[in-house]
Parts: sequence; C-alpha cells; structure tokens
Amino acid sequence: MTKIKDLDFSWQSKITKNITFIVTKDCQLACKYCYLVGKNEKERMSWEVAKQAIDYILNNEDKFKEEAVIWDFIGGEPFLEIELIDKICDYIKIQMFKKDHHWFNSYIFSFSTNGINYHTEKVQNFINKNKDHLSIGITIDGTKRKHDLNRIWKGEGPEKGSYEDVVKNIPLWLKQFPEAGTKVTISSTDIPYIKESVLHLFSLGIHEVNINCVFEDVWKEGDDLVFEEQLIELADEIIDNNLYEDNVCSFFSEHIGKPLDRELDNQNWCGAGKMLSIDTAGNFYPCTRFAQYSLRSKRNWIIGDINNGIDNNKLRPFLTLDRCTQSSQECIDCEVASGCAWCQGENYDAALTPTIYQRSTAICKMHKATVRANNYYWNKLYRKLELEGKREDFEKRGIKVSPISCY
Amino acid sequence: MLKYLVIVLDDTSVSYCHYNNECKEKRLIDIDTLKKGIVYAMKENLSIQYVLPDYTLPKKYVEVMESIDNIKFCSSNSDMIDEADVIVLNGWCSNINFNREKTYVLRISKEELFEKEKDIKLSFDKMSRLNVVITNITSFKDSDIDRYNDVLNSFSKDVKSLIQNGFKINILTDRIMLDAMNNCNAGAENITLAPDGCFYVCPAFYHCGENGEYGLGKTKFCIGNLEKGVDIKNSQLYEVEYAPLCRKCDAYHCKRCVWLNLNSTYEINTPSHEQCVVAHLERNASKTLLESIGKHKLFVPEKEIKEISYLDPFDIIDKL
Ligand code: SF4
Ligand code: SF4
Repeated sequence: MTKIKDLDFSWQSKITKNITFIVTKDCQLACKYCYLVGKNEKERMSWEVAKQAIDYILNNEDKFKEEAVIWDFIGGEPFLEIELIDKICDYIKIQMFKKDHHWFNSYIFSFSTNGINYHTEKVQNFINKNKDHLSIGITIDGTKRKHDLNRIWKGEGPEKGSYEDVVKNIPLWLKQFPEAGTKVTISSTDIPYIKESVLHLFSLGIHEVNINCVFEDVWKEGDDLVFEEQLIELADEIIDNNLYEDNVCSFFSEHIGKPLDRELDNQNWCGAGKMLSIDTAGNFYPCTRFAQYSLRSKRNWIIGDINNGIDNNKLRPFLTLDRCTQSSQECIDCEVASGCAWCQGENYDAALTPTIYQRSTAICKMHKATVRANNYYWNKLYRKLELEGKREDFEKRGIKVSPISCY
Repeated sequence: MLKYLVIVLDDTSVSYCHYNNECKEKRLIDIDTLKKGIVYAMKENLSIQYVLPDYTLPKKYVEVMESIDNIKFCSSNSDMIDEADVIVLNGWCSNINFNREKTYVLRISKEELFEKEKDIKLSFDKMSRLNVVITNITSFKDSDIDRYNDVLNSFSKDVKSLIQNGFKINILTDRIMLDAMNNCNAGAENITLAPDGCFYVCPAFYHCGENGEYGLGKTKFCIGNLEKGVDIKNSQLYEVEYAPLCRKCDAYHCKRCVWLNLNSTYEINTPSHEQCVVAHLERNASKTLLESIGKHKLFVPEKEIKEISYLDPFDIIDKL
C-alpha cells in the first residue's frame, strides 16, 4: 500500500481529490478583504447533509478514482463546528474501512483556520485523535499592526484586532505541526507592511510563508511601485541576514517571470472542477468560490447535489479549460507570464458574461512588480552565494516553494 | 465574420432547429423594423434568411421581403409553403407532397425517429435534401447508442444508392463532403433579428421568453439592436478556435449548437456529452458509408475519415 507520506497532497496533483465541506458560513472575524460576501450565522451544515454527501462520494468509487483524498473543512471558521467535524471524520473513517475503499489510509483532513479556537479542548481532542492524518493552517497576516488592520472581530463598536487571540496559539500549533506554513493575503492597504510582516512570521518560527495579492480589482494607481519597493527591502533583509537558509517566502521563486509556451504551458492553473465543494444545503460546486456566499455579482454555479449526484456536463467547461483559451492576446504573449496566477471563481465573478473563459487581469501590474523584485532577489542571492562559494550547495538543496496559493 | 442575418418575422415563426417555439400569440415584426433589418444586412453584406409564421403575410410585407435575395423557412402547415425554400416538418408525416426543389428539416424526438425509421426512409427518393434535427438530444442515453446506430445503418443502405443522384441527408452525407468544421456558427457567422427589433445569437435565445432560465441566468439575452448595432460580449467564445473540444474534433458536420451548450454545460463553447456522442455516431456511420461507396465515385475531399476509438472527444482531452 502507498504510504501516506509518499503521496503528493498538492491539490493541483492529478492523484489527489480535494473535497471541501462548507460546514458553516459563520466566523468570529470580519476580515476586510474576505472574499466571502455572504457570510452569515444561520447557515450551518446539518449532520444529515454531511452524511448523505459522504455516502454519495464513497458509494461512487468509480467516479472518484484519484489515489488519495483531502477532506477539507472550511467556513466561515470551520472550528466553530468542531463537534460536527469530529462526527463527519469518524464516519468517513468507518465507512472507508467498511467499504475497503481505496482511500482508506490515503487521506488527510485539512483545515484553514483563523486560529482563535485552536487551543480549546474540543479542537485539541480532535487533533490528538487524528494527528497522523491532519493538515492545519492558521492564518496570521504578520505583525500586530498589519494583522489588526484587516483581521478584526465581528460586531458593532470600535474595531478590535484579533492578533493577540491568534498569536497565543502559534507556539502550540508549531509544536504540533513544525513544518506548517501560513497563507498571507495582500490587499492595497497592506502593502506598506509586507516586509515587516514576513520577517515577523519568520521570527515566530513559521518557515514557509505563502503570500499572494488578492485577485480582485482593488489596486490603486502607484500600488505596484510601493509593492516593489517593499519586496526589494524584504529581499535585502532575507539575503543580508541569511534568512533564506531556513525560510521561504513564495514571492521569491525562480519559476516566476518567464514567458510561457502556447502549447507546452497551456494547462489551466486553477483546480476548480477537479475539486468538489459541498455547501450547507447539500449543493455541489466546482470550488467553494462558486458558492453564492463567495460571489459578488454572479449566480452560484451548482454542478449537482447530494440527491442527484454530480452532473458531468456541468464539469466539462472546467475540465477542458486551458490557459490560452481564457487569456487575452496580451497575456498569451506576455514575456513574464509564469507565476501570474488567476482564480477561476474571481474570473467568473468579474467576467462580462457568466463564463469562466474570460481571465481577469486585475493582478497584472502587481505580478510585473513581483517579477522585478524577484529578479533582483535571485541576482543578488546568487552573486552572494558565488562569492561565498556556496551556490552549488544551495542549488543542490533545491528549496521548494509553492509559488501561488489560492485565496 | 458575420455572413447571415436570420429575420424572425413573427413570435409564432416556426422553429427550424433544436429549440422549441410554443408561442401561439401572433406578433408580426414592425414593417419599419423589417426594412431597417434589410438595409442593415445589405450594408454589412449579410445574406438574409426569413423565418415565417403559418399564416399568410400581408402583401406589403412580402414586397419588402422580396426587395432582396433571400431564403425562406416555414412549417409544413404554413399557408406560405409554396413561397418557402426550406420546409420544417414537426414530427414525421408521410402525406406531404415533397418537392425536390426544396430542402426539408425534420424535427423529431429520438423515440419517434427510432420508431418511424422505415417510414422516413421510404420518402428519401422524393427529396433532394433532408436535415434531421433530434429535438431531445440532451436525453440521449448510452442505451440509445445501438438503436441510433441501427437507424443510421438502415438509412445508409438507401442513401448509398441515392447519393449519386444528388440526395443529401445531413446526418450521413454532410461529413463525407467536408474537410473542415462547418457548424451552425450562431453568434460567429450568423445572428438573428427578432420582432422586438433586437439582435439575438439565434432564434432560440429569443423564443425562450422572459422567464427562460438556465442555471446561471436568463437564457434570453439580446446582443444589440438596429440603432446601436451588434455588440456580442465575449464574442470570441462563439468561434470554434475558442472551443477546446470542438477545435480539435473532426465531426465536421456537427451543429456545435451553442444553445444546447449553454443549457447543458452553462458555457457557450462547451458541448454536452450527448451532443458529441450523437455527432460521432453520425461521423462513424458516414465513414462506413463512404467506404462502401468508394471515394472515387464521389466528388469528395481527399482526406479519409479516420478510425477513432471514442464517441466523445472529452474522453481523450489529455491527448487532444
Ligand atoms: S462532436 Fe462535440 S466536440 Fe465535436 S464539434 Fe460537435 S460538439 Fe464539438
Ligand atoms: S445555436 Fe444554431 S444549432 Fe443551436 S438552436 Fe440555434 S440555430 Fe440551432
């Protein structure tokens, strides 16, 4: 049997199915950049819906042939529903065992949490029970002033940041998941704090910082230049203080900023359609970004439900989508195209017609700024390593970084 | 590039394709709109196709319509059948006085086609061209594959002897004659002017009515009007080059119906499994027919129709 550790659990990987339960649309926080426009306290997944979804998935093994599965739980804040999640995970494990399902022992439960409830007894019991099959990411945006700028508590009255409530759980989290990384999302107002935030996260012991600009059209005139400046300063700090030896920041990747071949590099970057997302009502989506609470201006894109299963015709546009068909000529010809990401859900939301085949280019100038800073980083780093006679050694170590993360 | 303008003359005009038009309430296009539509077509170099209702049109309309070269579609029940070039049969009826000068469109459900296959082919020798449109293609199941193959093979036997006299039937002879895609191309090569004075991708997008929904929104959406001209948002998606499955496909005769696409997959450029399977059964039957006749006996393109292992290009998308 394939060992769990040998499996590539990247959701972009062909062999892994990503199945997301939207267990609640509620969250303790009201982050200013949150893409979930329709969050609310009422919509919670019932046990009946969850069970029916699991039964459909596990009873249709021929439709889910991927070698491994990531059972993903999101919200809102998923740990608000820890009791339901615990019941779901127990049921999944029992059913996979009973059915001698090919995913038995080839699964992980994955969570993206705001970290506020991380230390609670119920969450900790769950972690201990499932620790060999768990991936948990806590979102912390950086320094206190940067984090509290956006990640504020929900409710009336003066704004209250959530930094202190999250940072207190970081040591416990890193003790349990020493390899864990964090996701940081940059919006226009965050730009001046990028350098200090990444350095702060490194200092907390988080060695992998996956960071990306929001895909929405929020960027103001001149943002790209300030952004570039921040990244150059960050590059200097990382290189001058040898931080690159133990840490990675996804802004700096050698794969960013190269032209892409029309034929060879024509794959769709985004995994929508290869994933399956289930909402509180039991509807299926190609990705959570297509559920109504994620969409500003378009209708939710349902591809089936727990009663009728997946309608394969609804998946065809997602599974046949490629880079060039959705891109403008400018993007196809772009000299620095590699690493320029998109989100299929945001493309749909921003498109002129209800289609996933029109790529949004709101991120263009920010990507180009990233490329300039990234070039600077590698030129400077390699020169330093050469002078120190360490370049070969560094290249052999082949530091891996996932250059783009979803949201 | 646009080449044709379809003008739907009335809300009750016949459907000649995959969509249904159940409207019973007459609403004739305004004569000024008709005139403007004709002038628009002349200026844009578009050939005109009129879609007629069943009742006799006023004389002044006929005069305006005939001010330009055109093709007229009407139903077999229409009072204007003698004037029309294309006659639509809604379901099979044997008691038609077929006319070799005209083209016939048979709109038929798969069930009726399977049932009346023998009756239908008995009339082949009375026609010069028949276009078969399966009206419920989306309900085509894998269990229908064998039955449709039987129909195609049975038709094929008769077509084999008639083809050299010039008989054509879209589901068997079109593919033989083609060496490149030749689809409906609504929104790319043709658009429709409706009685409300607006342009639509094809009549289907008008006749579906205000309440028509397809999951992501309204199915009725106009793409401009006579005053402002044509404005198709994301117009590239109507072109075959922007359809990842179709651009590599060689079921060249397939309608590649954007109306069916929208309703079944939610994307204009993405066909359903059923549309592809039906087109491939026809493609494969055309291949067998061509081989049985011998290419040298027909004026057909040099290229062979290749042997393929799939009925739906989606099944080999990684290899396309
Ligand atoms: S058979 Fe399918 S892929 Fe081929 S042209 Fe028709 S709709 Fe497109
Ligand atoms: S898009 Fe073309 S093939 Fe489809 S219903 Fe309209 S006219 Fe017919």
